Amino acid sequence: MSGLVAGAPFQHSGRNIAQLMQTLLYALLPGIFASLWFFGFGILINIAIAITFAVLAEAAMLRLRNRDIRSHLSDRSALVTALLFAIAIPPGSPWWLVALGIVFAIVIVKHLYGGLGQNPFNPAMCGYAMLLLAFPLAMTGWHIPFEVITGPLSVDNLGTPILTAEREFLSQLSWGSFKQALLLAFPFAASGAIDISEFVDGLAMATPLIEFKMAGKSALLAARESGASLFARESETAWEIINISYLLGGLFLLYKRVISWHIPFAIIATVFILAALFYAPGSVAIYGTPYLHLFGSATMIGAFFIATDPVSAATTRPGKLVYGFIIGVSIYSIRVWGSYLDSIAFAVLFGNFCAPILDQYCRPRIFGHGLRSKSKPLPNEVPVKP
Amino acid sequence: MSALRQLASKFFGSDTVFARRTVGGIQPLPFKEDSLRSRIMSTPIPQQLTIPIGAADGGEITLLVDIGEQVSKYQKLAVISIFTEGVSDVPVHAPTSGVITSIENSIVADHSQQQQLCINLAADGHDEALQLEPQSNYSLLSRVNIASLIRDAGVIGMGGAGFPAADKLRLCGESAIEFLIINAAECEPYITADEALLRERAEKVVVGAEILKQASAARRCIIAIEDTKPDAIDALKQALKSEMNLDQTCELVLIPSKYPAGSERQLIKCVTGIEIATGQHPTENGIVMYNVGTAYAVYEAIVEGKPCVSRFTTLCGQELKTPKNFEVLIGTTADFLFELCGIETSNKQKSILGGSLMGSELGSDKAAICKTTNCLIAASADEFQAPQAEQACIRCGFCADVCPSKLLPQQLLAFSKTADTTQLLEHGLFDCIECGACDYVCPSHIPLVSTYKESKKLIATRRQDLEHGSYWQQRFQFRQYRVKKEKDQAVSRKVAVPAKPTLAAGPAVKQQNKKTDFISKEQASLDIAAAVARVKARRDEKNQ
Amino acid sequence: MLPVISHWLTQLVIGSSLLLITAFALLKLNRYLRQQLTIQKSLVKRINRALPQTQCGQCGHPGCLPYARSISLGEASNKCPPGGHETILELAELLNEPVRGLDPAHGEFRNFSVAVIREDECIGCTKCIQACPVDAILGGPKLMHTVIASECTGCDLCVEPCPVDCIDMINQLAPSLPQTTTPYFNSLSSPWVNS
Repeated sequence: MSGLVAGAPFQHSGRNIAQLMQTLLYALLPGIFASLWFFGFGILINIAIAITFAVLAEAAMLRLRNRDIRSHLSDRSALVTALLFAIAIPPGSPWWLVALGIVFAIVIVKHLYGGLGQNPFNPAMCGYAMLLLAFPLAMTGWHIPFEVITGPLSVDNLGTPILTAEREFLSQLSWGSFKQALLLAFPFAASGAIDISEFVDGLAMATPLIEFKMAGKSALLAARESGASLFARESETAWEIINISYLLGGLFLLYKRVISWHIPFAIIATVFILAALFYAPGSVAIYGTPYLHLFGSATMIGAFFIATDPVSAATTRPGKLVYGFIIGVSIYSIRVWGSYLDSIAFAVLFGNFCAPILDQYCRPRIFGHGLRSKSKPLPNEVPVKP
Repeated sequence: MSALRQLASKFFGSDTVFARRTVGGIQPLPFKEDSLRSRIMSTPIPQQLTIPIGAADGGEITLLVDIGEQVSKYQKLAVISIFTEGVSDVPVHAPTSGVITSIENSIVADHSQQQQLCINLAADGHDEALQLEPQSNYSLLSRVNIASLIRDAGVIGMGGAGFPAADKLRLCGESAIEFLIINAAECEPYITADEALLRERAEKVVVGAEILKQASAARRCIIAIEDTKPDAIDALKQALKSEMNLDQTCELVLIPSKYPAGSERQLIKCVTGIEIATGQHPTENGIVMYNVGTAYAVYEAIVEGKPCVSRFTTLCGQELKTPKNFEVLIGTTADFLFELCGIETSNKQKSILGGSLMGSELGSDKAAICKTTNCLIAASADEFQAPQAEQACIRCGFCADVCPSKLLPQQLLAFSKTADTTQLLEHGLFDCIECGACDYVCPSHIPLVSTYKESKKLIATRRQDLEHGSYWQQRFQFRQYRVKKEKDQAVSRKVAVPAKPTLAAGPAVKQQNKKTDFISKEQASLDIAAAVARVKARRDEKNQ
Repeated sequence: MLPVISHWLTQLVIGSSLLLITAFALLKLNRYLRQQLTIQKSLVKRINRALPQTQCGQCGHPGCLPYARSISLGEASNKCPPGGHETILELAELLNEPVRGLDPAHGEFRNFSVAVIREDECIGCTKCIQACPVDAILGGPKLMHTVIASECTGCDLCVEPCPVDCIDMINQLAPSLPQTTTPYFNSLSSPWVNS
């Protein structure tokens, strides 16, 4: 099993890990552009910080583990982790938050388990979950795009002050907003241009789903009583467009055969079916519509980009379907009955827990095995000594 | 789906049927055009022939000639007896006339790459042949007759297995055969020997198939060919319509061009939908498969009475000026063929035996062509990429998607690395057909097949060790039992012997003596049985 | 009506899936425990399987089975030189012990070898025949002896008793069984082939 074996086959498809990762990065671009459009420069700054620290941490760990830095860095897996992580982190987070999370992901979750291919859990999601547990306040403050805030569900009853003017300012793509985003990420550089504390305190919740959830029953009931449709504005939200962008990226990955259809299909189908089952129009509508679950939250990026991370996912075809089902159920139950806002990270980590046993028990039937016809002893069995 | 297939059949002509979907598989670049550009060429007689007579996996060789003997073309040189699933004899014939110079070990162009016993024949150039006995009307021959004629001609599986063709017919006799499949699915890149053969001599192949159908008493005869070989398909259609094929009993089935579609079990599944269980022979399921080359050799053996002294071999690779297919005499050395194609030896990197996916590096250019050598590639330095550095497995599962045996190569790799025998067997390591499709798609460039081969070897050694161990243990226990028995006998003799001189002891002792004598004579066998039982009981006791 | 149905549906789904999972887990546990039990029962057998069965007695026991029994009762498992490092590893794994090196008091590792009698020098004393644990030596008193190579375990026990030192241990790659190879091993050399 040494490095270079000159045996057959001599021909190769020419694909390599770096190419796969590259395709993945390309597929993320539409979603990132959509986020950029709606959330401003915060996401770009997140990405820049995450990539910087990811590459530094990866190089340092490779050095410590006596691996060839150049060849291992060029597989671009650290870039993918950094990007997925940066997308999950709220824009406008301070730099140390991003750095802490990504270093945790690369050093502890990836390299201490043996590097690429060995980590049992998704590094990006582990980093995200760690931050969510350690800094819950910082991790749940998102800039809501101005369209959302001007919608009918102004969350007044949550008691969160909303600084509409500043937020509108931030989500615009201008040099000024870029400067403000930078200041948000690097608060120490603030020289009185803007009062950071006003921003940070004033941030509200992220996705429509979360708003919806935080609004809770009372708001819903109130809205229903007043005859306003809670779901009317969903089709207009930024998140919908962002989700569609990620969906397009995911379809591109499927087309390029970087991922297989099993996991995304199982997740989306499970979430959809559960949402459809529990959302009964006219009943206590605390569950949200299927549409809201699919396009008003982070389901698409989770299903196509995060859950399909091959290293930590189940690897057999039937296993992938069950894995997707488990993640789908987890996503839905954590969202609806759990106390966390959006649940992709925990659902994927729970799926990761299940992956090894799925690989062992959900195997495709081997060609020529388990046929019912004539049963002959297989030549596979080691002869038992008398 | 079946309606679609019928529609397609109508479009392509009534004798063409489309096959089912294949399991897994890859579509590598075929690199077949170069060697198909020219027609099949018969090689001139080389001065020196090295005719392999060694059976690769044990077996007995009966030499029929001696060193210094003058032999004629088609004369029997030796008989190889192979002990797989019963004894089978395969004769080896002289490809040309000449003098036998020596009999020694040399390298043969087959995948074991081991030295085999070979007869060195110095050709005299006269090519004096023995009188042949053609059977022009094969339909009058009985099954047994055909089988024995094929056996005498030394025809073996030309696709690469080298399983004696007559023995397959014998297996056919043991169960009713529904399908005879002629395997024209030459899916591996570079190899074009079968395609070229079909293109130029399809009629003879069809007659060979007819003979095999008669000999195996198969109900249907199917020629399976990939849909990417239009010339060969046209030739086959012509042949099937021609007068030689009076019964019109052969059918043509087009299969999707995917590697490894030509693998026996996979092709059967693709063509008939029947899945052969692991450990079963296709004939047990009423299916028998022959390669196109074998069918042609059968035609020659029966209709022309010619023993198998040549085969079709592809010579290709960027290093050859005119790559083409040859009808090669068995025993020709590789370098002779390379020179015929015009080789630039200056920058030749390596020679590969077989195709680019399952081939192996040719140990020496002096290697002799044997009956299973289907392709030789003279690769230039930049033709095949040097193996890239192995990266970690990211469990992407591409390998599992292309595996024709529906295995999980990524899991097998993990278990191979930890040498977890139980899991390897559980995951079907021995169902791996070593086709190399997983290697081909692996983005981490892991040499998977090599790893599996190592693991297989490891498990085989372990299994062999266990077999030895149990044998030795039996021998040891038998010895212990034997020693014990001898000791017991010695003791009883000792008891008996001192009693004789002490006459003073009186009649009582004598009586006792007599009694023991009496017993030892009458119940000797019973005593032994009792001792055996005792030993056995004790052993059982100890074992528990 | 609908909320009631979905309420019941939830309970039904959750309850039945929990039940199913529990039942599945219990079944697996049952199977596992049974396996463990049989493994415990057959520990001697399993140890014996790991031993090389040369019956050489270098461990101090007459034969491999007695040593296997003794190991199962707590004796050190690193006293088997013919088994090589693999046997030590296998036994350590089987017994869940740390891997120790071979006990030097019991000899050292050696490649598999077969005893060969230099037949001209043999005086026919039968001493080696008595020493051979597997009856692999053929011969009679005052008659020349020979080793049946396919039966020899390479245990070395015949070398010492020979009064004229006419027995050599010749290295061999692997032991060979008297029968011809089984079809299974043949199939290793030819993987798949288009017949």
